[in-house]
Amino acid sequence: MREQATIEVNRLWEALRAVKDPEFPVSVVDLGLIYALRVEGEGRVVVDMTYTSTACGCMEWIEEDIRRCLLQEPGVEEVIINVVWDPPWTKERMNEAARQRFREWGISL
Amino acid sequence: MATDLKAWIAEGNTVESRADMNEEYYRTLRDTLIIVGDTELLSVFALRRALDNAPNLNAKITALAIMQDEIGHAHIAYRLLADLGEDIDALVYEREPRQFKHPYAFDFAYDGSWAELAVFNAFFDRAGFVLLGDAYANTSYGPWKRALAKVDKEELFHVRNGEVWMRTLMENEETRADVQRAVDWMFPLAVEFFGLPDNLKTRNTQLEYRIKGSTNDQLRQKWLREVVPFCESIGVRVPAHYDEEKGEYVLDYPFPCHFDEEAKQWRFDQPCTWDDVIARFKRRGPKCEEFVAELRKGYREIARLREAG
Repeated sequence: MREQATIEVNRLWEALRAVKDPEFPVSVVDLGLIYALRVEGEGRVVVDMTYTSTACGCMEWIEEDIRRCLLQEPGVEEVIINVVWDPPWTKERMNEAARQRFREWGISL
Repeated sequence: MATDLKAWIAEGNTVESRADMNEEYYRTLRDTLIIVGDTELLSVFALRRALDNAPNLNAKITALAIMQDEIGHAHIAYRLLADLGEDIDALVYEREPRQFKHPYAFDFAYDGSWAELAVFNAFFDRAGFVLLGDAYANTSYGPWKRALAKVDKEELFHVRNGEVWMRTLMENEETRADVQRAVDWMFPLAVEFFGLPDNLKTRNTQLEYRIKGSTNDQLRQKWLREVVPFCESIGVRVPAHYDEEKGEYVLDYPFPCHFDEEAKQWRFDQPCTWDDVIARFKRRGPKCEEFVAELRKGYREIARLREAG
């Protein structure tokens, strides 16, 4: 029987920084799209996330990126993504790193 | 205007308006921006037919967003030309279709399969990203450099859409062959995007005035460095490989060679000359007139209604 690697939630957050919004290369973490990350049972990671818009055409794309990214982490066997619309996403959810990137690109916030 | 404009630019100065330019700079910049505007605009008509093959609604929405971006990029290029005093209505609505300067690759309808849209984004938008990225980093024309901040991000979005879809389609037994078929005819078209090899260019005012920063072959290499490893990583065959001795990517077919437009097949056993290629570019591809007519349909219709009073 294989030793089950302990999944560290902090590492998962860190790993997700590599997943960028398709339109603007800012991480989904900095954008504030990830509401919660938790480990449930053996090798199962649950992600609660939202989108900037209910009409976002890139949902599958972003979810696929998140899944691929987390499955590369030691011990992760399964990724479950819950899309939550409450609370709704607003610009206030972006952190300073995201704001800084948008400012550099001349995009008003 | 500086007496020696090239030296003034080489010192790192930025050209901001007509007053800073000599005639040669102006003509070179104008010709470059016309190519850029036409390329962005006509890409939409080449891609539009692909929408019917979208596997789901979100894929279609994303593709439409990309086309909308491209029209925005064309608008930026034409706006820069308008600021230089060019008549944009004449350029867009009056020019002979064959006078448009978009790449020959955009004179085809990419309606064969959804894979063609994916490869279009991954190869042609990547070429645009390389070319415009170089301008963004190096151009001496300030207004263009500033406008490219937005364009650069959006082109990357298009490239990523193409790569995500290529990877997804390669993971599916039913669509793998579509990807390879699209790559087989589109890869050499993208390689041609970068124009004449450096050794055939007699002079290069674009580089002398730093309208752009890198040569055709340098930009082609940059594209190959991105595209070839990506294709290999997802199991797509491309006719190019890395040559350890030369320290660069080399093509596995004679460049240039004959292209059978009807069959959409490259004849790797039939090398040709660059004069032949330029002649093909000038003849334009099969859909050129149709796409330009489509672009003008609304404009003509409005004009007709106005005349009818």
